[in-house]
Amino acid sequence: MNLALPIGVALAVATITADLSAQRFQGRRRPPREEGGAAPVADAPKAERKVSSWTAITGGDVHIGDGNVLRGATILIGDDRIEKVGHDIEIPEKATRIDAAGKVVAPGFCVVRMQGVAAGGGSEVRDDLNPFDPSIKMALAAGITSFLWQSGGGSNTPAGKSAIVKLAWGDLPSMVKEENTVVSMRVPLDASSMANLRKLVRQARDHLDKVREFEGKADAKPEDRPKPPQGVDDLLAVMQGRKKLWISAGSGGGGGFGGMMARPSGGFAQKEVRQALEVAELVGQGVVLDVPVEAWVVPDEVAATGSMAIVMPRLVVSSDPGRPDDTGSNIAQAAILDAAGVPISVTVPTGGYGGGATVGTGGILGRDLHTPFVDAAFAVRGGYPSRKALRILTLDAARISGAERRVGSIEAGKDADILILDGDPLNYKTFVQSALVNGKVVYRKDEEPFYRHIQR
Amino acid sequence: MQTTTSFAVLLTALAVTAQDQRPTALVNARILTMTDGGSIERGTVLIRDGKIEALGPDVRPPLGARVIDVAGGTVMPGYVHAWSGAGLSAAPRAPQEAPDPTRGRRGRGPRPEVTPQPSSGGNSASKRVADGVYERQDVFADLLREGVTSLSVRPLAPGFPGLAARLEPDGTTHGDLVVDPESYVVVAPATNTAGKKLLKDEFDKAKKALEERKKPPEPQKPAGTEGQPAATPDAKPAEPQKPAEGGKPAEEPKPQEPPKPQEPPKPQEQPKPATDAKPAAAPAQAQPAPKKDPNVEVLADVLDGKRKTFVRMSTVMEMQHWLDAVGETRFPMVVVADAPDSRRGRLDEGIAELKKLGATVLLAPRLLDLPFSRTLVNVPQRLHEAGIALGFVLPDDPAGIRDLRFRLMELVRSGLPADAALRAVTAVPAKLLGIDDKTGSIVAGLRADLLVFDGDPLDPSASLRHVFLRGREITKDPTR
Repeated sequence: MNLALPIGVALAVATITADLSAQRFQGRRRPPREEGGAAPVADAPKAERKVSSWTAITGGDVHIGDGNVLRGATILIGDDRIEKVGHDIEIPEKATRIDAAGKVVAPGFCVVRMQGVAAGGGSEVRDDLNPFDPSIKMALAAGITSFLWQSGGGSNTPAGKSAIVKLAWGDLPSMVKEENTVVSMRVPLDASSMANLRKLVRQARDHLDKVREFEGKADAKPEDRPKPPQGVDDLLAVMQGRKKLWISAGSGGGGGFGGMMARPSGGFAQKEVRQALEVAELVGQGVVLDVPVEAWVVPDEVAATGSMAIVMPRLVVSSDPGRPDDTGSNIAQAAILDAAGVPISVTVPTGGYGGGATVGTGGILGRDLHTPFVDAAFAVRGGYPSRKALRILTLDAARISGAERRVGSIEAGKDADILILDGDPLNYKTFVQSALVNGKVVYRKDEEPFYRHIQR
Repeated sequence: MQTTTSFAVLLTALAVTAQDQRPTALVNARILTMTDGGSIERGTVLIRDGKIEALGPDVRPPLGARVIDVAGGTVMPGYVHAWSGAGLSAAPRAPQEAPDPTRGRRGRGPRPEVTPQPSSGGNSASKRVADGVYERQDVFADLLREGVTSLSVRPLAPGFPGLAARLEPDGTTHGDLVVDPESYVVVAPATNTAGKKLLKDEFDKAKKALEERKKPPEPQKPAGTEGQPAATPDAKPAEPQKPAEGGKPAEEPKPQEPPKPQEPPKPQEQPKPATDAKPAAAPAQAQPAPKKDPNVEVLADVLDGKRKTFVRMSTVMEMQHWLDAVGETRFPMVVVADAPDSRRGRLDEGIAELKKLGATVLLAPRLLDLPFSRTLVNVPQRLHEAGIALGFVLPDDPAGIRDLRFRLMELVRSGLPADAALRAVTAVPAKLLGIDDKTGSIVAGLRADLLVFDGDPLDPSASLRHVFLRGREITKDPTR
């Protein structure tokens, strides 16, 4: 006991330091690639950046997003981005001050999947967004400041559109900042689909070789630049690390009533997890396992490919009595994957009894995104280290969405998407007091009808 | 000869009885002028020859004038309805509804090219709604009896549905009814990818057309280049829009139409087979007919500031999408918010956008709810306080017009100044339609389009006693 505590602390610190070095998960087998996904921050803060308005959040306990907390720190925001975070920061005279003394400050939650908020049903998200959708305010009340929108995809090859939608109330132009960071496909693949995928990967490799050869030539003419073969654009982007590849099982993506109740063989079971990892090997990049049921059985294999996972801690799939090995869901999945070094995020059960991955007044509270932190808390209940559990909804969720350069933590250079809370971010009693998106206050508990009647 | 003379005598007699030549004086009236002059608490309005001859506290009715004592009552200008769909649905003359001779012969002969109209709409900006207005409908007279002395009807479909028409609500022939068949251009942007693309593409074409126009006159050459960007003309000629081109430059109120109200549609209908129609139509035009897309030309006029444009954007969401699609394209526009929705942004949340567009607003006169609450917001008041010129969209049915005063009352008692509320149904829409030099306020020299109430128009206990259109009193339907 005497010995265990210091060791535990040392281990935790070691983990966090390792996490901060950022490239840990991508670099297990292969050296990190130059393009894409590498830079943790979009633009390093430049001293000469012209700022028209300053905002300073002072005195709060600032959860950075990676698990660390700066007590009584100041966050200086220049326009829409975080300029500086820390103690003893000089605040410009004209800055708007927000006093967060005694409050908790955290990065806005990034949700890896959400429907029915702001985005319409069109194929281009930016063309039918509704910046005045009242459910934006509801999502902000739940702490959500951005989410990954997806359309299409889910076939036998990587495809689909996506965008990071920021819940910037009333401001259409600043709602979509990053587009097409994610493509998706599904497993299981039958023999011919797998063969087709291999063929496409080979074509893409050949193309990349040609490009390399072309770039090596001194007298290369720009018009001779090799053109990519048809139909491999998304695959190329995945192989180059420009887009994240999400892999789900079956057509329902592991979610839904069917996903909840299905036997392991019908869901994202070991077999499908292994095939998804095979795809990861094939494309040479870690993938995102979209709600796997049995990834906890093979955590090291998942970690070895540099993959990540979206888990649904409340998912219950009973084990298969006909099989001798470990089957079915496990509430410890998040903890087991984390221990192996796999970043995770959480999502909520969809369908069945209520809202699913949305906010609204039609569902059953707790079965929708009104309480994303409850789902993170479920991961903690399964053994996920509580100290860094906020990552599930912030930094790691941003990584899984391919948006870690913009959102997910309170770091200089990132978008100023910040929550001011009246308690621990993952405590069920905590309410969002105010929320900032792109440096602007877009939600105040006392002014919106949802929770203003709750005064403590 | 004899018959004609007697006919003429009869007509004159009719005219004399219909139009009382005597001047009319409304005395002891509270006069709401709807100008910056404000109101006259007790005065006289003198009407002669269909016009307001004089008004003021000291005006004496001339000898022999018909005097109406309005003591305790109010005189105000007639309602100006700038955005109406009245009478459009029951239009038997609508060319589209005529039986199509080529129907039912699938695969045989040239099929009529019908431009598909998806939810995002298409460009038929030169299509005149006036061509589909059937004159023999009670609704115009019914609206007039309720006080609508100026009525503009507009096409309503996504995209660029066409040109609105200004009507004289007492007209009984098509020519008398339609006084301006090209009152303004209607744009109804759809908030989706295709809708935004349509806006962008069509305005780009219009910009090119405008550049062509501004080039030194070189009639032959532009004709060739003009035809190419307009990819649609092949599809268009089948539609009976051609007369729009002829009527446009002269901008005449087409007096030649009324004598043959049943005839014109037919010759237009027959050349439906598209390939036959084109050679037939081209010589009929006689001129060297540069093959311009009339729809694009109308939009070029819009960009040139030569046509008034009403853009239907009921919410701030739509305004932001407009700015996103064609934000750099600016022209004087009226934003019509006939279907406000607090779940897509109330207009008072978009004052910055309205100012950016330089727009005046035609708004549905109602309070809006805040989502998830019982709170109501007086959007017109907030726009008024922000200094934005404000007109109201009036209801389309006579009963709705009777309700209008209660809508205004509701807005006034929750903070909108009464003067602004009444101007928003008279002087402001008249200005937006460009007819403020004719009607919409009580000024000497303007048409005598007047309403007389036996109290305050916003008081529910007051009722509408007299309606004057061009000085002529409209008899109230005794059954109502």
